[in-house]
Amino acid sequence: MQVTTTRFGVLEVAPESVYTFTQPIIGFQEYRRFVLLAGPSESRVYWLQSTESGELAFLLMNPRDVMPDYTVPLNPHDLSELAASTMEELEVYTLVVVPEDPAKIRTNLKAPIVINRKRHLAKQTVIDRNDYPIQYFLAGGKAGAREPRRDQSHARTNA
Amino acid sequence: MLVLTRKENESIMIGSDIEVKVLDLKDNQVKIGVVAPRSVTVHRREVFLAIQAENAQAAVPHEVDVSNLIPR
Repeated sequence: MQVTTTRFGVLEVAPESVYTFTQPIIGFQEYRRFVLLAGPSESRVYWLQSTESGELAFLLMNPRDVMPDYTVPLNPHDLSELAASTMEELEVYTLVVVPEDPAKIRTNLKAPIVINRKRHLAKQTVIDRNDYPIQYFLAGGKAGAREPRRDQSHARTNA
Repeated sequence: MLVLTRKENESIMIGSDIEVKVLDLKDNQVKIGVVAPRSVTVHRREVFLAIQAENAQAAVPHEVDVSNLIPR
C-alpha cells in the first residue's frame, strides 16, 4: 500500500508494518493506523506517521533517554489489550513537542505510546503518577540549558 | 445535561455496566467511585484535556530539525 505523506513523500507501506491503536491518541480518535519510522541516524527520535492522513505525524522518543528508570505500570487488562503477556514484549515511546522556543522542547511522560511490534498493536496510556509530567522539558541539544548546568556542577566539584 | 440528586453511598448506572457512586461528601469535596469495564478509560477531566492539548501540540505541523533534540 502506498501512503502519500507531506513529510516523507510517497511511502511504500507493508501491511505488517502498520500498527493499529486499540485506544486512540487522545484527541485523534479518527486516526487508528500508524507506521513507526526511525529518524535520522544518531537522532534517537522516531516518527509515528498516520497511514490514514499523510499530514499527520508525531515525533517520538525513548523516555529512558532522559529518565533511565522510567516504567509503565500496565495491568493485565492493558497487556491483553495489546496481546502481550509481559511488559518485555512491548516498546515504550513518548510524544515530543517542538515549539519555536528550543527551551520549551518537551516530552509527555504521563501519556506514553506503548507498542507491540510483533502483534501490530499500540495504544496511548495514561500513568497515574505525579512525578511523570505531561510536559517534561528536555532543554537539551544545542540550544538547551543543560550545558551551563553541567559546567556549574563541574566547577563546584573542582572548587 | 441530565441532572440527578444523590446522597452519600447512592449511585447511578450508565448503561448496564457502569456505576458511578458518591462515596463521601465533606469540605466542599465529593469522593466518587467508578465501577466500569476495564475497556472504559476513566480520567480526571482536567488531565484528559491537558493530554489532549499536548497531543495536539505534538502533531508536528512544521519542519523541525530533529538531529539534536534528545540530550546526551
